[in-house]
Amino acid sequence: MSPLWTFLPLVLALLSVGTPWRFRGLSLFLGMAGLAWGVLGGMGWASGLGAPYLYLLLLGALTLGLAPYLPAYLAHHPREAHLYGFLLPLFLASMAGVALASPGLGFLFLWEGMALLGYFLIALEGPNALAGARAFFLASRLSGAGLYLAFLGHGHVGADWVWAGLLLGFGVKAALFPFHAWLPQAHPVAISPVSALLSGAMTKLGLLGLYQSQYWFGPPPPWVGWVLLLLGLLGAVYALVRGLGEEDLKGALAYSSVENLGLMLAALGAYFLKPMPLLLGAFFLHQVAHALFKGLLFLGAGALEERRISHLGGLFRKAPGLGALALWGMGVGAGLPPGPVFLAEWQLYQGFLQGPFLMPLAAGALALVGALALYFYVRLYGLAFLGLPRGEVALHWTQGMRLSLGVLAGLLLLLALVPGLVLDPLGVPTYPNWLLLILLGVLAGVFYRGLLRMPMRAYGTWDCGFQPLTPRMQPNGLGFAEPALRLFPFLRLQVGEHPRLEEPLAEVYPGVGRIYARLAAWVQTLQSGSLHLYLLLQLLTLVVVLGVVLL
Amino acid sequence: MTALLALVLAPLFSGSVKWLKARLTHRQGLSPLMEYRNLFKLWRKVWIAPHPTTPLFLLGPILALLGTLGALALLPILPGPTFKGDFLLALYLLGLGRFVQMLAALDAGSSFGAQGSYREGVVTVLAEPGTLMALAGAVLLGEGFSLSGLPELGVENSLVLLLALASLALGLLAEGARMPVDDPTTHLELTMIHEAQILDHSGPLLALYELAGSLKMLFYAGLMALLLPGFKPLVFLGVGAAWVLALAYLETYGVKLRYLRLPDFLSYNTLFGVLALLGAIWRF
Repeated sequence: MSPLWTFLPLVLALLSVGTPWRFRGLSLFLGMAGLAWGVLGGMGWASGLGAPYLYLLLLGALTLGLAPYLPAYLAHHPREAHLYGFLLPLFLASMAGVALASPGLGFLFLWEGMALLGYFLIALEGPNALAGARAFFLASRLSGAGLYLAFLGHGHVGADWVWAGLLLGFGVKAALFPFHAWLPQAHPVAISPVSALLSGAMTKLGLLGLYQSQYWFGPPPPWVGWVLLLLGLLGAVYALVRGLGEEDLKGALAYSSVENLGLMLAALGAYFLKPMPLLLGAFFLHQVAHALFKGLLFLGAGALEERRISHLGGLFRKAPGLGALALWGMGVGAGLPPGPVFLAEWQLYQGFLQGPFLMPLAAGALALVGALALYFYVRLYGLAFLGLPRGEVALHWTQGMRLSLGVLAGLLLLLALVPGLVLDPLGVPTYPNWLLLILLGVLAGVFYRGLLRMPMRAYGTWDCGFQPLTPRMQPNGLGFAEPALRLFPFLRLQVGEHPRLEEPLAEVYPGVGRIYARLAAWVQTLQSGSLHLYLLLQLLTLVVVLGVVLL
Repeated sequence: MTALLALVLAPLFSGSVKWLKARLTHRQGLSPLMEYRNLFKLWRKVWIAPHPTTPLFLLGPILALLGTLGALALLPILPGPTFKGDFLLALYLLGLGRFVQMLAALDAGSSFGAQGSYREGVVTVLAEPGTLMALAGAVLLGEGFSLSGLPELGVENSLVLLLALASLALGLLAEGARMPVDDPTTHLELTMIHEAQILDHSGPLLALYELAGSLKMLFYAGLMALLLPGFKPLVFLGVGAAWVLALAYLETYGVKLRYLRLPDFLSYNTLFGVLALLGAIWRF
């Protein structure tokens, strides 16, 4: 496969840079590229060409949703807009390239290029983003190390080593516990369109890589499946509990990404242990649904100037459109019927329950994740969008943003109505979800209209008849989460003047950074600047090469 | 079909519990049929919209009722839709109702509503996994991976099914907001879980919530009826009557647990769930 046409947006972006209509032009080009990718990917997936085409479909859908968002958003970053306009299409093209590349040096080249572009896109945001960008960079180094071990060692070392390298290489990108810490550090600090792309699309490449590896490197040994299953579920529970204590709206969304990726990794692990189409259906449907709803939520968060949950509130009344779209996104994210994430979890439950050995117990972990996700999204939506406003929040909610979120919400609705778009090539049946969706929608609409027509009186909220309620009487972000955090005492809640929840795994990447710097310093002794040393090295190289060739 | 039957019976169920509780404390008690008139009265009243509310304030009671009815419709006590994995959809439809109810509680901007909301979330986190595992264990022993193929209590499957029944009973107490977990008759906002969430809902909205609350208990009673041998509609009535007795006695002679002790109580639910699932895997 030589996917030259995936580089089309690069050419278009180069053309568009410098033109006075660059923003509108960029969004038009991205929209066209997204449409083309989506249609091609959809056709390829429907005709059974394989997982890379589903990824292309996912990427196309996300790009299509992103396109109208960019002009209005980048107008707030006039200085970096050029660079974003240049880097974003490149980043998209590199992701499409990774998905379609065959295993080999070309794949590694594209993979590293994608990581580098991602680093630039995060770091562009400014000095506040540097720590997150650094964590992202170090995670890419770790991921690269694993992939080099697997790709170069294939055929020389045993399957166990190859798969260990793959687990590290692709697992780090897919936020496998306990290497997930880079994701909640890097994704929230980037600008919202970049966060949407990183969480929605880039992390899925790790999943795609692991899935494709079974064809590239032969079937995995059984321990890989168990490791993926256990770490995936553990990571999902951990991420939700930690995310409950997260004050930053985008940070909480990033933890939710770790949770969703954990479930997908668990589905893949279970599939490796017992190949059932149900598990594959859960794996792929969850990916597409997560890309769409997480894109929707990250882009929606980009409309807010203030992202601390304890300073938000009452946003629904201020921007009902944003509130309704975010409700749909978060309801889907909480894994509730009739959303597509529920359909994926529904298949995952069935797959787990029919699995070998003790795998049915994983259904209990999945139920715990479901209950925690409910709590998690009630907290996010309820504190940010409902109740009394806790402060003045400026909104940038433009026409283009409306269109963008509307497109993503519409695609999500399409997926809920016709999950067969993803599931049919796998031959996985579902129950008639469209009927449930329409029934619930129509009945709720009838009741809603009826209740609005009934006699009604506007009045104050019940306050026990004492002093009137103030916005500060509502619980803040940590206050709402504390009763649940009490149940999971492995994370310490620091109370006092500045309450916060600790993140013990945040130290993983600074540690990796120190080791990496030490190694680099060690290698640097060779680059001393002394001409004599360089000449000696050349001579030694010559001798070694001659020795190898002659002997 | 099952949903319609439950809809007709739900006010009788909660009315009977109230009547029996009154009798047990040597009071005259209102007729068990009073609950129908009460709902009718509420339905005709003016409802109050607190100032900061949004459409979710209305969607809360509506979807709480619709979700519960949807879950009940999947119970094959009377003929109805049935498919592979329907028990998962039923439990998650209850979850949908809970999600909007928790959001609607936050909508009025009241600290009590928020308190009820996160307490409900904690009860869900504690109770949900156990109930789901117990039900899954029972389904694994049956045929067709569906509620319509659930096994009936017999000698060879008694252990798993008894554990599942115990877990469903605890689930009913937790999700139905009954005595050791929550006190439905309390007037002190600080101790409320379920009631705190619906404080600001009045008139027809309250009627929808009350109906949804009784229906939720009937859903768990229906699940238990499916696990017992006999003609299902009659067993369902029997289980419902048994729960009227049990709830009345429990709430007359029992006390509400301190909120912080809930994890101790509901961890039995998780234990029953794990054991039932293990029993279904290893067939003991």
